[in-house]
Amino acid sequence: MVAQIDKPAAHDKSIRIHLEVTEKLKDPAWAWAVYKPDAHRPWILPQAGHLYRRAAFGATWDQLQQALSDGPQQTIDKLLRPQADIAAFNHTYDEYETSGTGSVDSLRAWWLRRMILTPNPLLEKMTLFWHSHFAINSAKVKNARLMQRHVQLLRSQALNSYRGLLGGISRDPAMLIWLGAEANRKARPNENFARTLMETFTLGPGNFTEKDVQGAARAFTGWFVLMSQLRYIHREHDDNIKKILGQKGKFTGDDVIRIVLEQQATAQTLVRKLYRWLISETEEPRAELITPLAKSFAKDYNILKIVEKMLRSNLFFSPAAYRRKIKCPAEFALGIVKGLEGVVSTTQLARDLADLGQNLYHPPTVKGWTGGRHWINNATTAGRHNLALALLQGSGPYGDKLNPRAVAKKHGFSIPESTARFLLELFLQGDLESNVRDALPKIAKVSAGSDGGDLAEPVRRFTHSIVTLPEFQLA
Amino acid sequence: MSHTRRDFLKAALGTSTLLSFASAAPSFLARSVMAASSRRKERDTVLVVVQLSGGNDGLNTLVPYEDDEYFRNRPTLCLPTNDLHKIDSAMGFHPRMGAFARLYKDGLLSIIQGVGNPNPDRSHEVAMRIWHTADPVRLNRQTGWLGRATDSVWNPNETNVRAVFVGPIAQPFGLNAEKVIIPSIRSLSDLTIGQMPGYPDHFSKIKSTAESHRKDNANPLLDFLQQCKVNTYANSRRIEAVTSLSASKAEYPSSQLAADFRTVAQLIRADVGIRIFFTEFGGGGIGGFDNHANQLGNHCALLHQLSESVAAFVHDLKRDKLLDRVLLMTFSEFGRTIKENGRRGTGHGSAAPVFLAGGRLKGGLIGPRPSLTDLDNGAPKFHTDFRRVYATVLDRWLGFESRTILDKQFKPLDILNV
Repeated sequence: MVAQIDKPAAHDKSIRIHLEVTEKLKDPAWAWAVYKPDAHRPWILPQAGHLYRRAAFGATWDQLQQALSDGPQQTIDKLLRPQADIAAFNHTYDEYETSGTGSVDSLRAWWLRRMILTPNPLLEKMTLFWHSHFAINSAKVKNARLMQRHVQLLRSQALNSYRGLLGGISRDPAMLIWLGAEANRKARPNENFARTLMETFTLGPGNFTEKDVQGAARAFTGWFVLMSQLRYIHREHDDNIKKILGQKGKFTGDDVIRIVLEQQATAQTLVRKLYRWLISETEEPRAELITPLAKSFAKDYNILKIVEKMLRSNLFFSPAAYRRKIKCPAEFALGIVKGLEGVVSTTQLARDLADLGQNLYHPPTVKGWTGGRHWINNATTAGRHNLALALLQGSGPYGDKLNPRAVAKKHGFSIPESTARFLLELFLQGDLESNVRDALPKIAKVSAGSDGGDLAEPVRRFTHSIVTLPEFQLA
Repeated sequence: MSHTRRDFLKAALGTSTLLSFASAAPSFLARSVMAASSRRKERDTVLVVVQLSGGNDGLNTLVPYEDDEYFRNRPTLCLPTNDLHKIDSAMGFHPRMGAFARLYKDGLLSIIQGVGNPNPDRSHEVAMRIWHTADPVRLNRQTGWLGRATDSVWNPNETNVRAVFVGPIAQPFGLNAEKVIIPSIRSLSDLTIGQMPGYPDHFSKIKSTAESHRKDNANPLLDFLQQCKVNTYANSRRIEAVTSLSASKAEYPSSQLAADFRTVAQLIRADVGIRIFFTEFGGGGIGGFDNHANQLGNHCALLHQLSESVAAFVHDLKRDKLLDRVLLMTFSEFGRTIKENGRRGTGHGSAAPVFLAGGRLKGGLIGPRPSLTDLDNGAPKFHTDFRRVYATVLDRWLGFESRTILDKQFKPLDILNV
């Protein structure tokens, strides 16, 4: 896993450590315990890169270097609770979003720009997670203002309380329009929200019955969306006794949320989903691994706490998590943009990401983006190749905003060999098998050719070779 | 790189066994591609769906010229009997659809009359949604029938794309899938590997990537991505090879639809594993077939383009002996009212004919001719549920399981020679 892997002795040693760690991970207590670097599991560049891929959208060179000197705990502190004035930053962007054209196309662009420039990338990472979780599609809602408020709600609670998030969602006009639940009449309770709440947002399939859905739908009666505004009409609320998940009472919508959150299945479902987002998507985690976190999550539904637990864990920094996830299109593209310290046209980028299967504000179904291997096929692989080309070639729709040669120089790497090493460390933390590295075109050789000694173009091509490697598609 | 024929083929197709096929024949590439595709045990069939947006007027496409009701209801829109391309003693194609009539006579075109659904809706959006989801009841259905079909054949080691949309508009909902990413293609370059200007050697880079075997096979995702990259680059070369050699041969009319069909034909020829192509004619939204006023001229132009473009596509494939693998089918969200309105147009109807083209059709006119007097709100009634057509193409043509895609088993129509 580390750069020295090519030496036979080091290779044997790394296999031995790998096996030891795999054995220890069988104990959930060890797996979730805080990772403390030691001689066998040192805090090195690949670990820092891993953290920034999962908890952010990639890293700059300075961020990687700072992480190396800060160590894992302090780096995670900064990601979880950044020092910068987050509120002011987000307020400014909220204003950008609501001024101007206010179309969903512009919302997509602003969001991507926020992801690039935010001092709190973990917040945007989790907002994206909840966007896929609640999966409202703007094509149905047809109201950019409501979509803007919806994502604002996701952001405000993204690392806060799932109870608060769910409460907001149950009164979110965009959600009710999306589910066709604008009218929840006493005489005709709309079951769409109640069913989706149980099946997708909380319990998961198999953990409730149609009777529970019907009871919950009655509890939500009285809520309407009229002229894009949420309204509560008391005479339309069914005030009779309902039976929901074994409980009986004159329940309201808020009671339903309390009841579904009391079920162990809810915490289990969410922890599994977070596991797939933050740790690994290669295999279903064992129940013993999930249960302790689900129990703790069920106590207060504090999202920050559970994310923190995952990010700090031995498991997170183990081979079981390392490169065990395929980057979504946004992670792929923003990883290039972040590393090269530029800002590109996000209006264009939003369109290109849509072509790669991730159309922000338009998840494909109520289940959100499935992701994983589904991100990858011949068309999206060609698409990623061509998008990287457009980002890096210094002309065309993205202009000359990203210049890998200039970034390398800025950090003190000017000669061909050191430039190549710099880029490999920036994007892959040097963690690449030597025979794969050898297959990359050599900057030095190319530079001696037609470019008359100017490295800018060869460095662009070399960078393109790196970001189209299979390794770079892994988060 | 010097493109000798040998080098070129080697680069383009990547298998040395092909070289013997390529010796001196003039159409060496077409043959080689055929040879390449025959590596598979069975050669995959391909479905091409053509959406006619707006509600095509079936009665002026295939005209019941022996029925007085037609002329009585359409004083200005009726087409002169003598100009029709008659296919039997009762029906004839629109005067500008000579190409369709010829395909029909050659057994390369079939017509299913009176296709519709039991819950017809006269709003464009709802009616189109029903055709896309294949669900006339649950209008909030989340996936399209072809999206579900594509999801149903996905497997975790498959890297080929199985379905694509070809065209300049937003992807129609029929392709909306829960899991797989179905690409929208405007041109072939969306599926080929672009190069940085001044890149020294296109092929050497691909070769070096393809040849780099990783030691770390402990990570299944890495293996999968590597395999996909190699396969993508190989497919890209196949597409480029096919484009450069056959571009000048096939003749297509100059319309967007024809351009899209040409792209589809190239991709079929390149044999890159795509089973479902979706194209659109009419411009999406409330499309060009929605003729509430002055229908005659506009409809005439559309039908002419459709007929000529489909014929060009069929002949292109036929020449390369690929037509037996291909089935094309049209659909529109609804037909139109029999009675013309006061503005020389027609209103939204329900049932309409579906046209099929391909090399394995039984041919002919399928299903009874809808009555022009027993009407549903002024429009011909349906007799063949559209999901029976879907079941036919899924079960009998693509070899997918229609029951899981359409939620129940609809009886396929006996219209294919397979």
